[in-house]
Amino acid sequence: MRDFLIRHQTPALLVAGLVVVTVLGVLTGNETVQVTLTEMFIRLVVVVGLWVFIGNSGIISFGHIGFMGVGAYAAAWASAEPGFKQIMLSGLPVFLQENQYPFAFAIIGATLLPALVALLLGIALMRLAGTAASIATFAVLMIVNSVYANWDSVTAGSSSIIGIPTVVGPWVAVGFAAGAVVTAYLFQVSRLGLMLRASRDDEVAARASAVEVKRMRLVAFVLSAAIAGAGGGLYAQFLGILTIDPFYLGLTFITLAMLVVGGMSSLSGAVAGVFAVTIIVELLRIAERGVSLGALDLGLPLGSQEIGLGVLMALILIFRPNGLSNGRELVWPGAAPAAKAPAGRTLSPELTGDAAPSP
Amino acid sequence: MSETPAFIEPPSLGVDRALTNAATLAAEGLSVRFSGLLAISDVTIRQARHEILGLIGPNGAGKTTLVNCLTGFQKPSEGRVMLGDEDTAGWSAARFRAHGIARTFQAGRLFKDMTVAENVEVTGVGLGLGLKAAREHAMAMLGWIGLADKARAKAGTLAYTDQRRLGIARALVLSPAFILLDEPAAGMSDAECEELMTLVSAIPKTFTSGVLLIEHNMRVVMGISHRVQVLDGGKTLAEGLPAEIQKHEAVMAAYLGMEA
Ligand SMILES: Nc1ncnc2c1ncn2[C@@H]1O[C@H](COP(=O)(O)OP(=O)(O)O)[C@@H](O)[C@H]1O
Ligand SMILES: [Mg+2]
Repeated sequence: MRDFLIRHQTPALLVAGLVVVTVLGVLTGNETVQVTLTEMFIRLVVVVGLWVFIGNSGIISFGHIGFMGVGAYAAAWASAEPGFKQIMLSGLPVFLQENQYPFAFAIIGATLLPALVALLLGIALMRLAGTAASIATFAVLMIVNSVYANWDSVTAGSSSIIGIPTVVGPWVAVGFAAGAVVTAYLFQVSRLGLMLRASRDDEVAARASAVEVKRMRLVAFVLSAAIAGAGGGLYAQFLGILTIDPFYLGLTFITLAMLVVGGMSSLSGAVAGVFAVTIIVELLRIAERGVSLGALDLGLPLGSQEIGLGVLMALILIFRPNGLSNGRELVWPGAAPAAKAPAGRTLSPELTGDAAPSP
Repeated sequence: MSETPAFIEPPSLGVDRALTNAATLAAEGLSVRFSGLLAISDVTIRQARHEILGLIGPNGAGKTTLVNCLTGFQKPSEGRVMLGDEDTAGWSAARFRAHGIARTFQAGRLFKDMTVAENVEVTGVGLGLGLKAAREHAMAMLGWIGLADKARAKAGTLAYTDQRRLGIARALVLSPAFILLDEPAAGMSDAECEELMTLVSAIPKTFTSGVLLIEHNMRVVMGISHRVQVLDGGKTLAEGLPAEIQKHEAVMAAYLGMEA
């Protein structure tokens, strides 16, 4: 058991950290704190999903928020009240219109449908070289947005889907966040993950090492779309009301900012980025609201959130291009198996350079 | 580097390795055209297993382009590449490697953010091994080439000659039928060249692999090649035993003259 934990300490530490934060948040008994936490964990699911593709393949994707939207709608179709669906979503298949499926079923749909869409689109996209593929993923985002904004009979178009049971709170969300972290870790250290990371470092050399690069990319693309889709499903069952608007540029920017800030070449970095950006955004949000001192209103102008985040990202890119994690994974100090601990580091727990602990 | 390299038994793959056991790798009447420029024209080369074939020629002669054709990285404009009796037309580079044709790169091209061990494991896994078998085989390879103590270092932090050796170890995973080395001694000192010669000349016996050796260092090529082929301006200028090539007048004029 001890060996097992030491070997897989990165996901163990990350999951433990998530649980501790949740316990503390729930103990406050403060509604706002719990809502913020839930939202952060849902984002974490999406960002970890995004990382599965970007972190391992080295190809930036602008399309994953589209997959999140596909997942959210899949969950809404399954779980919204039949009365609403029969009137407003008359284009849905009858089995969806007439039934209200439980949360588990909705989440499975929210995972499988984006995976299927990613598979079909990915077959075309993964034929493209790195930068061209990134640009093409942007098209995915736009296509999903315009299809869902205009396909009135199944998405209610520009009006909202309502009557989705709100069953996602901090504990459900953190459960999925932990599941996403573990899944991403298992992928990272798997055979497929190893081959994909090789192609990230040098695609030509990977092909010379018998790696079918396009196939590996496609697998990661589908898996990461599935995880992002699950995040979308959680989002739908957290808010209870759904439009396509949130699944566009703003969220794409913020999730990519999380990866950049945390460091996109490590899983720990993805998680750290979600925490760091959430804290900054919340602080800026409070500052925007301002404080009243008698007759004096002190507050940052509206829009400071976006500007602050942009400045933060620029600073990180300039001074710490590999993000807060510096491309390293979280490990317990001294417990790294046979790893050379970098001299002079006493952070606890510290970050060392071993993405995949070996026995 | 180990002085008496023992044969490294590849872990069983459980797939048909018949093609990997092909006796020859050959290019027949090969031409490659880059938007008008004829990089290679009508070159025929035949590499046998267990043989070290030196490939020399001035810069721009087309040596790397020929290796690219022989490993699936460049589609020939004319001619074909044969592995044994099999025409390789349409094969991907990964498929070439899966059928036992391995290569190194003039530019090294290591997976520099991955560990030394992982660099070698990738090929094992790419060829179908499980993680554990790939890891064990990688350690055996690193032991043979003398990098076992650096297994956990990042490949990008290795000294230059160690990077070259790692590239060779990575290519030798699971004993390929043929290994094509593109200027492995470039930038090495005399002593390092000496070590490399010992290493490369041990490959045919240790791994039952034929070696195609591109190299500018005449002492290295002439010292360990069984046969030498000379390219100049994309054409075969001469082909023969090292001693014959060293006496060949056209070769001396075109190439060796400027070395001396
Ligand atoms: N991808 C390419 N596109 C255009 N020209 C190329 C390309 N690769 C090689 N060449 C040209 O083909 C010729 C042969 O190059 P190369 O095979 O690299 O020679 P060598 O390895 O013998 O030095 C050179 O003139 C080179 O400029
Ligand atoms: Mg060359």
